[in-house]
Amino acid sequence: MNAPDVATTSAPPRQGQAGSSPAVELVGVTKRFDDVIAVDNVNLRINDGEFFSLLGPSGCGKTTTLRMIAGLEFPTHGSIRIHDEQMSLRPPNKRPVNTVFQSYALFPHMSVRDNIAFGLQMKKVDRHTIGSRVTEAVQLVRLGGMEHRRPKQLSGGQQQRVALARALVNHPQVLLLDEPLGALDLKLRKAMQLELKELQERVGITFVYVTHDQEEALTMSDRIGVMDDGRLLQVGTPEEIYERPATRMVADFIGETNFLPIVVTELDRARIEGGQEIIIGGDGTPGTKTTLTIRPEKMRITAPREPVPEGDNQLLGTLHRRVYLGNALALEVTAGAVRLRVRQGSAAQVHRFRDGDEVAVLWSPADAAVLED
Amino acid sequence: MSAPTAPPTLVPKLEDGTGEELEHAATRADSRRGALLALPGFAYLFLFFALPLGIVFVYSFATRSSTGRTILGQWSVDSYTRLIDPFVLQIAWRSFALAAAATALCLLVGYPFAYYIATRSPRVRGLLLVMVMIPFWSNFLVRTYAWRVILGSDGPVSRLTELVGIGQTRLMFTSTAVMIGLVYGYLPFMILPLYASIERLDFSLVEAGRDLYASGWEAFRRITWPLSRAGVIAGSILVFIPSFGAYVTPEILGGSRTTMLGSFIVRQFLAARDWPFGSSLSFVVMIAMLVAALVYFRVGGKTL
Amino acid sequence: MSLREGAQPGGTTRWALSANAWLVFGFFYLPIVLLVALSFNDNRMVGVWGGASLRWYREMLGNASVIASLQNSLVVAGISTVLSTVLGTATAIALERFRFRGRAAFDGLVYLPVIIPDVTMAVMMLLFFARAFAMVYEATGTTLHLGITTITLSHIAFNISFVAIVVRARLAGLDPALEEAAADLYADRRKTFRHVTLPLIMPGILGGALLALTLSLDDVVITSFVAGPGSTTLPVYVFGLVRRGVTPLINAVSTVMLAASMLLVLFSLLVQRRSQ
Repeated sequence: MNAPDVATTSAPPRQGQAGSSPAVELVGVTKRFDDVIAVDNVNLRINDGEFFSLLGPSGCGKTTTLRMIAGLEFPTHGSIRIHDEQMSLRPPNKRPVNTVFQSYALFPHMSVRDNIAFGLQMKKVDRHTIGSRVTEAVQLVRLGGMEHRRPKQLSGGQQQRVALARALVNHPQVLLLDEPLGALDLKLRKAMQLELKELQERVGITFVYVTHDQEEALTMSDRIGVMDDGRLLQVGTPEEIYERPATRMVADFIGETNFLPIVVTELDRARIEGGQEIIIGGDGTPGTKTTLTIRPEKMRITAPREPVPEGDNQLLGTLHRRVYLGNALALEVTAGAVRLRVRQGSAAQVHRFRDGDEVAVLWSPADAAVLED
Repeated sequence: MSAPTAPPTLVPKLEDGTGEELEHAATRADSRRGALLALPGFAYLFLFFALPLGIVFVYSFATRSSTGRTILGQWSVDSYTRLIDPFVLQIAWRSFALAAAATALCLLVGYPFAYYIATRSPRVRGLLLVMVMIPFWSNFLVRTYAWRVILGSDGPVSRLTELVGIGQTRLMFTSTAVMIGLVYGYLPFMILPLYASIERLDFSLVEAGRDLYASGWEAFRRITWPLSRAGVIAGSILVFIPSFGAYVTPEILGGSRTTMLGSFIVRQFLAARDWPFGSSLSFVVMIAMLVAALVYFRVGGKTL
Repeated sequence: MSLREGAQPGGTTRWALSANAWLVFGFFYLPIVLLVALSFNDNRMVGVWGGASLRWYREMLGNASVIASLQNSLVVAGISTVLSTVLGTATAIALERFRFRGRAAFDGLVYLPVIIPDVTMAVMMLLFFARAFAMVYEATGTTLHLGITTITLSHIAFNISFVAIVVRARLAGLDPALEEAAADLYADRRKTFRHVTLPLIMPGILGGALLALTLSLDDVVITSFVAGPGSTTLPVYVFGLVRRGVTPLINAVSTVMLAASMLLVLFSLLVQRRSQ
């Protein structure tokens, strides 16, 4: 379970050029504001062409990390490289990255076109090239016909596209996005999620995406870094983060889950505190007290006397409460000292059970994860 | 499969110094830029404001020769002990009373007025606000003078009372005239901060109050009024301060029996040539205003 | 917002509110309207209507003192507005965007001229120039006099603060992300200021300049203390006349001054609308 190294954690789904350098590399990056440590010794490699999300609750340091990559903050310690080039203390206007701000930060006194052209003008790109690239960017985000409007005359979704075009038009090596969908309503947000992901695949630019919305991170990202309290807790693909959370915080923050306090007895055995023995994933250290986490939908409910498949765990308990969710059924089972939340996709399977019935909860050890803390 | 805290093998190393050092260097450079930018304004205000203020303070301890010349070097606190002269105290009290009354009147009229504007539809509100801004921006002297025309012995008010048969009214040169002038002059200073705080008010709070059985009056007293208090304080200070030190209004509309502190101070310089006494007076008046303003900044915030 | 039913006051209160509002507007405007009307009165007796005429306006234009003091006013207001706008804007930016030694003290100093009573400021300037002139005389033997220059210097002293406060409010309301976005889009400090910050605070700068202009054209007390013989401004000259009584000439001059104020209001509204 213990990862060998951050750098080799899971192969990137798509690689830019073969053997290319990491798009962004943070080594021992710490940011202190007066007495507060906003980012605490973060080590991270973001691969070229990857859609990488920094996920965490507000105040966890994800935005500060992004701002340090952008150059809007300088790290107190540590180094930041972009494609092997030292960036730590380089001002933002000299970095090959662009940012989509949370508030969009569109210049209210300029037209859409002038907003998009701004970066190229500052780089002193020739007028002709600016013209064609701006037109291209406008097409890319499908804002044709809006070029001469002011930002205030656009809807939230349109403003968001302008912010995107204004950054992408510069062909940055890395695009940084700070909760860009936060201001949009739910329906628009869902549509924009798909659109952003599609856009990223089309332009092939590395995206670093900051969000506190776990669902958003899971749907869009190639890999996710979960942060809390300034520290990077886990980096992995959405599957890894969801299925095998490394810490209690990660498991708790992403989706619903059950926590079982256990004491490891053998390499692949553990005892639930004050309860029965179960089979675990297989890399426990005997004698350690730890926690097992398992998602509600990974467990099944059967009658107590039904046969248990080879290698599965079975806990006996009392059905406590059932909540109908439309496409699923949420159940609560009390087994000894622990209370388990179970989710069954097909309501028919558990239809026969009533509150107060004796039931068995089954799960495969492969679906549970032993936490490190 | 997971990657928690830092692998110990990676020692952070910066090619170009640590972030902390460079951040400090950047902060220092920034601080130099800021100081440079502030310098001209600061130098000007130091030379033409702070220094003059210091001189007034120094002069307030000077003495006055029999010919009216100010003698620096023979220091005394005479001009401060003279502040408690009954004659001076009477003028100070009159200034305070007139300013307080004008402030109260402005609040009494201005609050419902500001409330009225703030609760119109945005279009109407904009128009009404412009109608308040026009007197606010109009020349103060001219506006005060208009009242001299109105209240004068052959002005419209007097003519009206004469027609009715009560005889000429003699409002000019009375404290009533001064009060009208002060209210007229400074009412916009009351209305604008009041408007700002009432307009910002979330009226669903009033609805919540009504929902919780508050009567209209109780909802006002317990919700609207406390939430607009910042505007009340700001407006009151903005009316009280210039009223207390008023000079133009009592000079134009008042008479010898309505002398206020402002006129009294001016007289020490232009007529009596008693600079030390005038200095101590203006210094004390300024301190009084500062205290009032500090209360405003504390309680009301820096609106307007 | 206009009130929904639940928050509306009852019938009587509502009636009293609108009655009060119209009374206040009457209170604001009747004196002004009356003054303007009387300025067209042909009769030397202000209170007796003698038919409409432009007689007093003609007399005003022929009055050398009015014209001379008007010229002084315009020169003083023009110069002090320009200089205080530049100094006040720099001050506002320094205080709002930078941290430097002595910032807190400067911050306090900037607010003082706004709070201080006119009379105290007038006394300050008079004593300062008296002292400064005495020192210049002792050192060089030259005699300096109060006049246009001392008036202008004093006006700048109080106007810097007003401009600084207005511009600073605008700066404080600016989303810091806008300047960050400019930096992110390759603009250095200078370009960020020129292309983003300056255009966005321009309404504040213009508003501050307008306030400075108005205050300069309004001031009586401070100017009368630091004005020398033959260097009065229009308000000071009018103030002198007003103290002696009501005349049709003052009515005409007053009307012109009111018209100028209203033009300025109109201008400021146009600026506001354009910035929105």
